[in-house]
Amino acid sequence: MDIRVLHPSDIPHVQQTNITNLPENYFCKYYLYHALSWPQLSYVAVDVSRPKKTPYDAPKIVGYVLAKMEEDPADGVQHGHITSLSVMRTHRRLGLAEKLMRQSQRAMFETYGAVYVSLHVRVSNVAARSLYEDTLGFKNNGTEEKYYADGEDAFSMRKELDYLREEALDEESDEEGGTIGQDEGGEVGSAGKAGDGVDAAKKDKKRKVKVGRGLGVGDLVERNESTATNGIS
Amino acid sequence: MAQNSQVLPGKEATLFRHLVQNYETKQYKKGLKAAEQILRKHPNHGDTQAMKALILSNLGKSDEAFELCKLALKNAMKSHVCWHVYGLLYRQQKNYEEAIKAYRFALRLDPDSQQIQRDLALLQVQMRDYAGYVQSRRQMLQAKPGFRQNWTALAIGLHLSGDLAGAEDVLQKYEESMKHTPSRSDMEHAEAVLYKNSIIAEAGDVQRALEHLDGIYKTALDRTAVMEMKADYLLRLDRRAEAEKMYTKLLKRNPEHRAHYAGLEKALDLDRSTKEDQEKLGQAYHSWAEQSDRIDAARRIPLDFKEGDAFRQHADKYLRRMIKKGIPSTFANLKQLYSDSAKKETIRELVEGYLEEEPQANGGAEQSKPDGQTNGSTKAQIKPPKLDPVTTWQLGVNYFLAQHYDYHLSRDLTKAEKYIEKTISINPAKSDYTYHLTRARILKHRGSISEASQAMNEAREMDLKDRYINTKCAKYQLRNDQNTDAVNTMGLFTRKEAVGGPLGDLLDMQCVWYITEDGESYLRQGKLSLALKRFKAVYDIFETWQEDQFDFHTFSLRKGMVRAYIDMVRWEDRLQEHPFFTRAALSAIRIYLLLHDNPELAKGGGSANGESAEGAAERKKAAKKAKREAEKAEAEKKAKAAAKSQPSKGGEEAETKKEDQDPQGLEAFKLAAEKPLDEAMKYLQPLLELSPKNADAQVAGFEVYIRRKKYLPALRCLLATRALAPEHPKLKEQDDRLKSALDNVSEPLPDKVKQVIDETYLSKLGSKTSAGEGRSDT
Ligand SMILES: CC(C)(COP(=O)(O)OP(=O)(O)OC[C@H]1O[C@@H](n2cnc3c(N)ncnc32)[C@H](O)[C@@H]1OP(=O)(O)O)[C@@H](O)C(=O)NCCC(=O)NCCS
Repeated sequence: MDIRVLHPSDIPHVQQTNITNLPENYFCKYYLYHALSWPQLSYVAVDVSRPKKTPYDAPKIVGYVLAKMEEDPADGVQHGHITSLSVMRTHRRLGLAEKLMRQSQRAMFETYGAVYVSLHVRVSNVAARSLYEDTLGFKNNGTEEKYYADGEDAFSMRKELDYLREEALDEESDEEGGTIGQDEGGEVGSAGKAGDGVDAAKKDKKRKVKVGRGLGVGDLVERNESTATNGIS
Repeated sequence: MAQNSQVLPGKEATLFRHLVQNYETKQYKKGLKAAEQILRKHPNHGDTQAMKALILSNLGKSDEAFELCKLALKNAMKSHVCWHVYGLLYRQQKNYEEAIKAYRFALRLDPDSQQIQRDLALLQVQMRDYAGYVQSRRQMLQAKPGFRQNWTALAIGLHLSGDLAGAEDVLQKYEESMKHTPSRSDMEHAEAVLYKNSIIAEAGDVQRALEHLDGIYKTALDRTAVMEMKADYLLRLDRRAEAEKMYTKLLKRNPEHRAHYAGLEKALDLDRSTKEDQEKLGQAYHSWAEQSDRIDAARRIPLDFKEGDAFRQHADKYLRRMIKKGIPSTFANLKQLYSDSAKKETIRELVEGYLEEEPQANGGAEQSKPDGQTNGSTKAQIKPPKLDPVTTWQLGVNYFLAQHYDYHLSRDLTKAEKYIEKTISINPAKSDYTYHLTRARILKHRGSISEASQAMNEAREMDLKDRYINTKCAKYQLRNDQNTDAVNTMGLFTRKEAVGGPLGDLLDMQCVWYITEDGESYLRQGKLSLALKRFKAVYDIFETWQEDQFDFHTFSLRKGMVRAYIDMVRWEDRLQEHPFFTRAALSAIRIYLLLHDNPELAKGGGSANGESAEGAAERKKAAKKAKREAEKAEAEKKAKAAAKSQPSKGGEEAETKKEDQDPQGLEAFKLAAEKPLDEAMKYLQPLLELSPKNADAQVAGFEVYIRRKKYLPALRCLLATRALAPEHPKLKEQDDRLKSALDNVSEPLPDKVKQVIDETYLSKLGSKTSAGEGRSDT
């Protein structure tokens, strides 16, 4: 298995992995929106051991994490968010999900100065909860009732990313002095924000997620996630 | 003279401004009212007509819109508004070539319009008219040189058009013009600088790329990218010691990225194929594996290059570790090694040996603790109890062997069944369907498609909340041609509110695998119209994906993530190379060929496939059933239409998904039957262009071209197949058909064609006739 950053060309198979494993699905454009807004944050696990049938075989994706930065953090704190995570049944318990998550978290911290990462998980999802709570150290931050389309509650979880500061310092001590990257967790989020063309959509913040295709990127940007009918994991 | 009627007096001029505003804020009803008010007094006012047309087209009335816009142009040939709108209407119809022409006209009439220029540029890049795009972008840069986006966009245009030096130069000029150093968190800057670096490297100047990278290394925000770029440059410059250091650092960050290991091997100058280096590599991997217990790659990779005893030892250690941990994907992770039959045998021997072992005594390492001893109460709460080591071991060993004997390179289905039954009998977890799933797969390999589907459904019932097994079940149902069951199964996890039921949701969500399998099933059953409908749906999904990039031409400039954008553009260029497309396209072409050969098929919606008497009876039954189904669908459609005859709620622009007017695909099928070969070309062209090394594509190409009497392209396909797959079962037959076709051409071929065919084909056959001359005398 190979763990690497997601490329746009991976999207068809990521989409297939997602719709195979989870009831919360998205059209291609939404994946593109992630890959082109925060290209450092989403990762895939590729089964490199498949014999190729033609020269055009696309890499076989067996797991992915789709992640983003919160565009308009309600708490004003720069943070990342896990949109979706899944691993094919045939490749579970290999540690893939954990490794995907760790890569994504580091990129959130390094590239965007994320202070924490948040996610939602079904209350009944034993495997995922164990992954988040036991293996990755997420803390349960409360319940969101009927978060999912089928009426199930979600736990809203988060994990602070300050431990990565230590790691960065470690790495840096190998370098010849000077601070590296996003040390102060600055106001990066606003950098790409100025002209995001979101004005029109701002007006109806509470609109439910539309899942047709005719959406512009602007519509995607402004999905109000807390009311997502089509769930963000 | 007509021009005068185009100038509006004060009151109407104000109204016209409102009209434009209304359009921009999507208040279409108000806009229409304003337009009509103006037109009442000035019925020939072109700009108003054009604006009205634009609104109409946004309301989905595109025919009416075109009519009106043409009228507007007649009234005001010299109005840039009319031409701009004309372009926008074409754009909405996705006729980009005409749209570009119209924009160009508009721009000639109003050379300073930023809006028109922007719209034109967008289409140019969408159409990959890079020369035009660069020109537009230069104009836009000249008009507004203060915006970094305008510089970046020009650089992108130059880069994509192949002018790397020009692209670098533009980026450089902007950097030099910056008044103050950008802040460290300036994402747009950080990314533009990395983009410039990637262009330098792409131009092949690795040395300069490295020097430039060193200058930005510390401030770059995309840490992973700069580290990977640096490692790569160092390696390419043969600075191996430094490259090794870099790759080691990268491995610390991500010990599961194969490219890092490959880089390290190169940096260490070790060669997998020599005995001596194998040993050194083995040691290196050992030390990397020691870094953490959770690393798989460093443990797994040595199995690729180790041989003989060294392989056996390593495989033994690896297998024991995985089985003891109870990792169900162990086999999946190893099966690639089976192409080496010695390794395959070794693995079999090892695992069969484990069967004999006293479970407790395996390997001597510490046993995994049963749960409860571990710390933390949450863990005990949410984790299911861990199995005892003995059960884990036995489960793992038997399960591995079941998969081993099911795999096509080591297949013995009787043994596979024995081991899977054993595994299932040991498995204590009632909701763990893993082993039942494999049981179904073994049945499928036995050819018991219907039992396999049954078995998969049983597996599904063990864990109703798990979509993965649900998906598998639907797939097996399709393989067994239970199309209705399959869509109902899928429906357990699709959105309830989706228009068109589960299938509607699957289409919306671009679930290509399902649509393709459904189509293939219908094709097997001879329900050609439905099959074609599905393959067409896949074709349309790819169209949508192509279309999806449109918004990102602007979006990405704002976001500044240029490298990712370039990645996307390059991917989109080769989009239809994807095997998803190829698979559906090959099936669609098959149907078009059937239709061409037997136009009668069109009448029965393609279900007149059976030849025998039995087949005919079957067919009648099927036709009756199809009719009943169609009637039922029709009735349902009417009922539904009646139920929601009230106008769509709320916003005027609310996107209403149209009801499928042709659920059985009969109408489309009749249309397709008129020109099946033309339709087939739509699928064939991308195949031959983007997947020329796919032998099946070439075989299909031959079939289409020979029917179109295009002998040269047919020959090209034939020669390609011969080169790619000399053993292809269709080759001989196609060869014969081409020969006889050339012997019997009804009109002499053009000299050039004849010459090429003679030289590349007939002369090599030792055939006496030359192309086009061998008409039979009878
Ligand atoms: C949740 C999921 C992503 C985990 O993927 P994975 O690659 O198998 O997980 P990992 O191998 O990285 O597991 C890491 C840790 O998570 C925990 N974990 C994972 N699966 C578990 C399971 N079935 N039961 C209990 N704990 C589990 C374990 O602590 C595990 O560590 P261990 O193997 O050393 O005991 C996967 O089960 C999945 O795709 N499920 C369906 C989709 C889904 O639920 N996604 C999450 C939506 S929020």
